[in-house]
Amino acid sequence: MSNRQASTAGAAPASSPRRAAPKQRPRWRSVKWAPYLFVLPNMALFGAFTIYPALNAFNLSLYSSSDGRRFTYVGTGNYSQILSSEEFWSVARATVIFVVATVVLTTVAATALAIALNAQRRGKGLLRAAYFVPFLVSPVVVGLIWRLALERQNGLVNTVLDAIGLGQPGWLLEPRLTLGVIVLVGLWIQLGFYTLIISAGLQGIDSSVYEAATMDGATWWQQLRSITLPLLLPTMLVVIVLSTIHAFQAFDYIYTLSGGGPLGATTLIVQYIYETSFQSPIQFGLAAAATVILFLVVFSATLINYMAGRRREAV
Amino acid sequence: MALKKATPSAGGPKGSGSGASGGRGWTSTTGKRPSTGDVARGTVLTAGAILVLVPIVWAVLSSLKSPEELAQRPPTLYPHEPTLNNYTEALTAFDFPLYFLNSAIVTIVATLLTLAVNSMAAYALAKYNFRGRDTLFVITLATIMIPLQVIFLPVYQVVASLGLVNSLWGMIIPAAATPTGVFLLRQYMLSLPDELIEAARIDGAGEWRIFARIILPLCRPALAVVAIFSVIWRWNDFLWPLIVAQDESVYTLPVALARFSGQLVVPFHLVLAMSVLSIVPVVIIFLLLQRQIIAGVAQTGLK
Repeated sequence: MSNRQASTAGAAPASSPRRAAPKQRPRWRSVKWAPYLFVLPNMALFGAFTIYPALNAFNLSLYSSSDGRRFTYVGTGNYSQILSSEEFWSVARATVIFVVATVVLTTVAATALAIALNAQRRGKGLLRAAYFVPFLVSPVVVGLIWRLALERQNGLVNTVLDAIGLGQPGWLLEPRLTLGVIVLVGLWIQLGFYTLIISAGLQGIDSSVYEAATMDGATWWQQLRSITLPLLLPTMLVVIVLSTIHAFQAFDYIYTLSGGGPLGATTLIVQYIYETSFQSPIQFGLAAAATVILFLVVFSATLINYMAGRRREAV
Repeated sequence: MALKKATPSAGGPKGSGSGASGGRGWTSTTGKRPSTGDVARGTVLTAGAILVLVPIVWAVLSSLKSPEELAQRPPTLYPHEPTLNNYTEALTAFDFPLYFLNSAIVTIVATLLTLAVNSMAAYALAKYNFRGRDTLFVITLATIMIPLQVIFLPVYQVVASLGLVNSLWGMIIPAAATPTGVFLLRQYMLSLPDELIEAARIDGAGEWRIFARIILPLCRPALAVVAIFSVIWRWNDFLWPLIVAQDESVYTLPVALARFSGQLVVPFHLVLAMSVLSIVPVVIIFLLLQRQIIAGVAQTGLK
């Protein structure tokens, strides 16, 4: 332990003269190609399973196939077909509603929870751990648990609601309600994770700022508005970016919770791509076109979030 | 929702209402009297935490009920005649041990592979000056925006052409090179002094030896974080194994669970028992390594 502390302490002065005077030291031929060998396995995997497929998606989206083996070139036919498909637009609408609701709710709730936890003196660690537990549970299991808990007549939720006279809503039977349910269950999974990120940001705020503000007579609310939230903005941005990327990929717990129903109300884009590419009738070209669209949306959403954040920081 | 209500009453660094609650007969551990705000916040946070845990506890309790009791209306709150029958039946009725084994193999091998390729790449990016280094680093960061879950279709084409469909390798390899792993390890390695490496070179140690014998042991905390997250993620991963696994013989636990719960008549008592068993390993890891996990998430946020 002390050994490592000593070595990290020496890091700062060491980094500046880094490779300033390599000529005075003996050089080894191996050093020249060694870094390339070190990055090779990782970059080969990136290339084969991330970069090539991402580029190839554009290529695949120009072909049509009903079995994934024989392809016919159709040009932009897949795009015109998918953009005029009612099913695709209803999936796109559900996805956008889901993503926006999830990102807003997650960011607000995680910030509120982190601030409350930060002020808490007793049982802080235990509470933090409790909120984190759902993140550990396999999403497939999460879906199953909630499917049982939200069952109309026999579920935990409606048993409680019925007992206090609120009736038995059909949580998984009414399209709008079900979309709300998958947003809230998603929040239930993610909340603890994003709260930890915000908490780390909160701890990075210098406490002397608050001391000065208190001496100047600032109220709790004023401190929150003019110190905590502005200084927390970069961290909140990270949460927004991560939860956006993540929300677009939502699939697994929804698959076992609602199965995309009722009436396709909770079929989001990933499930749509999965079903169009692997379940009959297989429409590989459409799935590839949807992949390209999703990929571009995720990519640009991240860039927009990032640049918007940059600008706000600059102001 | 309850959380939002909690914040206005939650104290900042110094609760503004602390003077108002002068008449309280009890004190907190810090010796200061807790304000009404403090009490309200503590209560709401605790109630929220219990509410968050209820569905999981309820599922665990339900897994101890007999099928008859599960079907009972209104449902029972806790098992009146707790039994482990669901567990013994699930273990024999399905190939549960096989799915468990598949999940374990995928999780362990994938995590080792991730640690190996990520740490090597991170070392090169952190400690060498070479042509193309910055480009490779930017590419690494950019791939964070291209998750497998988004491009699974073209990745499937690659995996199919390599003949890896329907095999555990097909699940393990494609996502092994994680960009976040490279990033976390690189940041950690940057803090190690260069003199260490120079000194080892002068002593005649080869490049590989320096990496394996000097750098890796020093990176243990960062490696632990990457390993823990890889284990949690791989153990729970669903979509990609679902696509790759076509025979039951290569099903992982989540795939098997989803398949069985998608049947016309769902044997919920067995699915519940399998679900609870599948949660156990991750919860144990969390209880043992809570500190590292929380530190790891914090690092993700700090970039």
